[in-house]
Formats: sequence, C-alpha cells, structure tokens
Amino acid sequence: MKLAGNDILIQSLINEGVEYIFGYPGGAALHIYDSIFQQKEMQHILVRHEQGATHAADGYARATGKPGVVMVTSGPGATNAITGIATAFMDSIPMVVISGQVQSHLIGTDAFQETDMIGISRPIVKHSFTVDHQSNIAQIIKEAFHIATSGRQGPVVIDIPKDLTNPDDLFDYEYPKEVNIRSYNPPLDPETSQIERVVEAILNANQPVIYAGGGTISSNASKELIELNSYINFPVTNTLMGLGVYPATDDKFLGMLGMHGTFQANMAMHNADLILAIGARFDDRITNTPDKFAPNAQIVHFDVDHSSVSKIIEADIAVFGQVKNSLQAINSLIKERLNDIDKSKIQKWHSQIAEWKNNHGLNHDLYKDESDIKPILPQAVVQHIYHASKGNAFVTSDVGQHQMFAAQYYHFDEPRKWINSGGLGTMGFGLPSAMGVKLAYPDEEVVCITGEGSIQMCIQELSTCSQYKLPIKIFNINNLSLGMVKQWQDMNYDGRHSSISYEDSLPDFKGLVESYGHIGIKITKNSELRDGIEKAFSIKDKLVFVDVYVDPNEHVYPMLVAPNGSLKDMWLSKGNKT
Amino acid sequence: MIERQLTLIMENKPGALARVVGLFHQRGYNIDSLHVDPIDDFTQYKFIEDELNIKFSMGEVSRLIIKTTVGDALMRQILRQINKLIEVIAVSDNESTYLKGILRDENLL
Repeated sequence: MKLAGNDILIQSLINEGVEYIFGYPGGAALHIYDSIFQQKEMQHILVRHEQGATHAADGYARATGKPGVVMVTSGPGATNAITGIATAFMDSIPMVVISGQVQSHLIGTDAFQETDMIGISRPIVKHSFTVDHQSNIAQIIKEAFHIATSGRQGPVVIDIPKDLTNPDDLFDYEYPKEVNIRSYNPPLDPETSQIERVVEAILNANQPVIYAGGGTISSNASKELIELNSYINFPVTNTLMGLGVYPATDDKFLGMLGMHGTFQANMAMHNADLILAIGARFDDRITNTPDKFAPNAQIVHFDVDHSSVSKIIEADIAVFGQVKNSLQAINSLIKERLNDIDKSKIQKWHSQIAEWKNNHGLNHDLYKDESDIKPILPQAVVQHIYHASKGNAFVTSDVGQHQMFAAQYYHFDEPRKWINSGGLGTMGFGLPSAMGVKLAYPDEEVVCITGEGSIQMCIQELSTCSQYKLPIKIFNINNLSLGMVKQWQDMNYDGRHSSISYEDSLPDFKGLVESYGHIGIKITKNSELRDGIEKAFSIKDKLVFVDVYVDPNEHVYPMLVAPNGSLKDMWLSKGNKT
Repeated sequence: MIERQLTLIMENKPGALARVVGLFHQRGYNIDSLHVDPIDDFTQYKFIEDELNIKFSMGEVSRLIIKTTVGDALMRQILRQINKLIEVIAVSDNESTYLKGILRDENLL
C-alpha cells in the first residue's frame, strides 16, 4: 500500500488501536488534520488549550492503562503542551505527543511558529523522536508506543516537519508487527535469589508495613498485592499516587502516608522493622528528613527502574522487575511456606497501630454535623461526595488543600479511580483529566474535586465539555484563597498572607458555567450541603458544577513537621504537634 | 570526592549526545571533560555484538568518555540514570557496567 506521510501517521495510530486523539490544529499540523478528517476509526477531541489536551490524554491513560495520544502544532502549540508532558513524566504515565514542526528546510531559521520542541521537552520525556523521512514514520510510531508503555512508563514526543506529511508524496506503508530496540531492555522478571531473601524477611518481621505506590498501579499489580496480603496480613499504606491499589475499606489499610498522611500510617512507617516498598520511590513528601526515616527498618524495594532504588533511601534488598511479575514470584514462593507464617507474631503490632488510629486517626463522620452554626468544613464536602457517589466514582483532583482532603477522605477501593498530579503538582489538571476519563468510561460517574484557584487554570475546558457532552460532576471547594499557600503562610510566615487572595474578583461560578450550557449549584450553608450534592449526582446527562463555600481558615492535618523532622513528627491540629 | 571516568557506548543518532549532556545538568552533576568519537574498530566491543546478537556497522555507534568528580553514591546514581537513556547500549564506571540495561559487576568497557 502506498500512502502519504500524513496518512501513514494517522494509519499507524489506528493500527496501534488509538481511540481518541486530544489536540489542537495549526499551520504545521494541517496536513495531519486533513488526514484525521478523512478517517472514522479515531475521534479527535478539540480542546481549548493544548495543556488541556495533554491532561485529558493523561487522565485517559491513568484510568484505562492505555497510552494517551496528543496532537499539537509547532511553536506555541508545542510549548503549551509542556506542562502536561511534565505532569505525565513525573507520574510515569504513558503518553505519545505528536507535534507538528516547520518545514525541514526552515528548521533553524527562526521561521514562523518554529520552536525546538525536542530541545524544550528533553528533560521531561522518556524519549523523543524527530521524523527525518516519511518511510520511518510507521517504525517511529511503533517504537514510541513501545517505549511509552513498557518498563517505567512515560511520555514520548514525536516531532514531525510539515513537508514530511505532504499529501502529494507517496511511500510504501506497512505497519511493523513487532518492535525490538537493541539498546532498550527494561527488566521484567525478578531474580529468584532476591525473591527468596524477601520471603525470609517477611517471615522474620515483627513490625512490618507494606508501602505501595503508583508503580503498583502502572504494573496492574493490585490483584497480586491483595493476594500477597491475604497470606501475610501486613498493615498497608499507599502513597498519594498509589491510592486504590489496596482497598481503602480493608481493615489492614492505614490510609495515605507522608506529608499529609494519617497518624497511624506515618507512625507505623517510622517504627517498622520491615518496609516492603512496592512501586514507590521515597520522594521527599514521603520520607521527611531522609536521615531520620524509619531508623530500624529493613528496606525491601520493588521497582522496574534501577535508578529509583537507593536514590534517597538505601535498600537492603532490591527487586528489579515489573512489580506484577515480582509479586507473582513472591506469592508462589510464599504459598509453599504458609505453615511457616506465624500470624500471632505481628498481632501486637496490629494492636499498637489500632491504638494510634484510635488516638489520632481521621474523623470520617464530620459530614453528620449539618448545623448552620459553623461554616462548611471542606473535609465534610468530600465525605458527602464519597457517600453520594457510593464510593465507586472516578475522582480527579487539582492541587492544594482540596486534593489532600480528597485523598484523605474518599476511600478508594480500586486502582485507577483516583486521578491526580502527584509528582509535578499541576494546578489545572483536574477538569481536563476528568474529560479524558469520561470519554474512556462514559457510563461511569466521573467527579472532579477542585478549588476556586485550580479550576481557573484550565477553566476554558468547560467549553470542550459542552461540545462533547461530558456530564462530569465538578465540586469546587471554594475557600476564597489559595488555601495551601495560605496554610504555609499561617504556619511559617506569622500569617502574612502574601498574594493568596482574590475574593472580590472571583467570577460567579454558577453564572459562568450556565453560560457554557452547564448546570450550576451554589452552596453556602451546611444545611444545604447534602441535598445539593445529591442533586448534582441525580442529574445524569449534564455537567453539574457545585460551588461550595467552605471555612476559609481550615488547615490540612496531619502535617509533617519540617525541616529536620522525622515521620513521627506531625502537626495534628492548629498549634498541636506530636 | 574523586575524579572518575565513565565510558558509554551509544547509538550515533542526532540528539543522543545532547541527552547525555542534558542529563548531567538536569540532575545537578558536573562534567569535567568529555570526549566523543564514532567507533571504527569493533574488536574491543565484540562481546557487545555477541550479547545483542547483532553486527555493528561503521558510523553506527559512538564512544563517549566523560570525567566527573563525585562521591560513590552519586556515581552509582549517575550510572543508573545514564543507563535509562534509550539510546545508550552500555555504560561503565570503574567498577560496574550496565549492558543493555543489565548490571554486571565489572568494568567491561
């Protein structure tokens, strides 16, 4: 078959099984868009800003496990995509971004809408390609998808000059059946000797904790993790990125750990004698001061990425490989040793953890107080959303206090249901990522928990939601200020609130969303909260935006004491620390 | 902190060198010296061809020699970060080698 470059590109994406392309057209991508117009297998979603395209593709990828695909033009189209690419990179999300480029003979001449996309994106991609000839396009697409979705996943950029998509020049097309990159060989199966050492460590532990992160979700290893713990009964904590990989309503679940982790999760980690770190990378929001991290723990680290292991915290046993394969290997070995598991051995440890939880655990019943004497608590909003959505919605969030409240109070029982920018912390992520999730799962409930600061960073995508009829439920936890910045200013800068307020210039969100054809609900009193949230969920065919005015003085707790604190050093409420 | 030498064998493709140099800056490491040339005599690297079951042809692969002054832990981290670059076939410091992603306990390059 003979095809032109633009058709080779699009046909390759179809052969790759792509359902949606999130993008925005422009000069250098015009030939490609003409090719998109002439096919029916994939749907192009026209966003309102390229950042929205990357986040939507990212949300699609996080929810489905399949790579998200983005199409942008050169210059500003490419640079606008950068924040979303960096977001995906930090959280190891598979994504393929295709950027148009000026014609080959113009490269390097400062041509109209020329920018060095490969150079700009280099530090925030897993890999990138410049297309140098039409006959290489199919091979490059194949390699890009392979790299994005294997090993430690991540975004891949393909930059393609306009002349190489010219519809007049035809070339042989055959999509490669397989791919083999001789310099790329991510680990898959763990070494047996390491697995044997891990099993011994498990059998000998008195105060163990499983600390599972986003890598466990990327590797689709939730089932294996739950199976492992059905044999060994360890307490389990999840990172912000790992929430849902172990059921939050299981009695062995401790909640999230780290900066705003639960008291019992942080105390268990600090006092552990064995930590099984599974697809987690000991980032600074987890460890607090690394020198003071879990002083008595033996560290077992499961990861697909060599460079993550012993980067921050030295591992005693390293298990390289896909987490799924490693856990399968552990499970089959431990099944032969069931008689050697002494369940009473860790009973005292479970009692200790129960005591911690009892003393300073989170209060999940705040929503029951519906009196109008006090302002609405943001935590109670999340609790109402949890109950009204029956605990099984996809929840996306933005970044800040509302994100932490969502992570603390919505109990995620399944992986891929909690979608947030954990690594880069990108405000503006919530709404566009919810679009990607809703397109992937049109029959599922998709909730975006956001704040009045974050939502305004990508609010233009409300228009995209109306074009494609995406009935997302958006809950705007409105505290009239940049709450997390304000919290730090309260705690570390004697309450000097520098540049965190815009109270007098906020839009009327209800009126704003209605101008896009959506439904707006404004809630200012506790007594209106339950009905308002239930009403939002009862509307099935429309996007509903619920603007909830909450107590502007509320802080997120627990919060690790920094600098120089350990995981046992936490603020538990205003002025009260451990 | 001592000066160490890293040797890389990598695909001779446009942009590959920029990825290595960029990585040093991005991760906060310093390059004391850098030497790069295409490999024209593969005798010394036949074991790589055997290992990968391929035959290199002229101009296809480059050798980079980088000198940097760092401590032990950082050296290991640099080695692992370089090994992650898709176009790097093998990388070695004084003590160990990553060959197509797999760690060996000796300097093979």
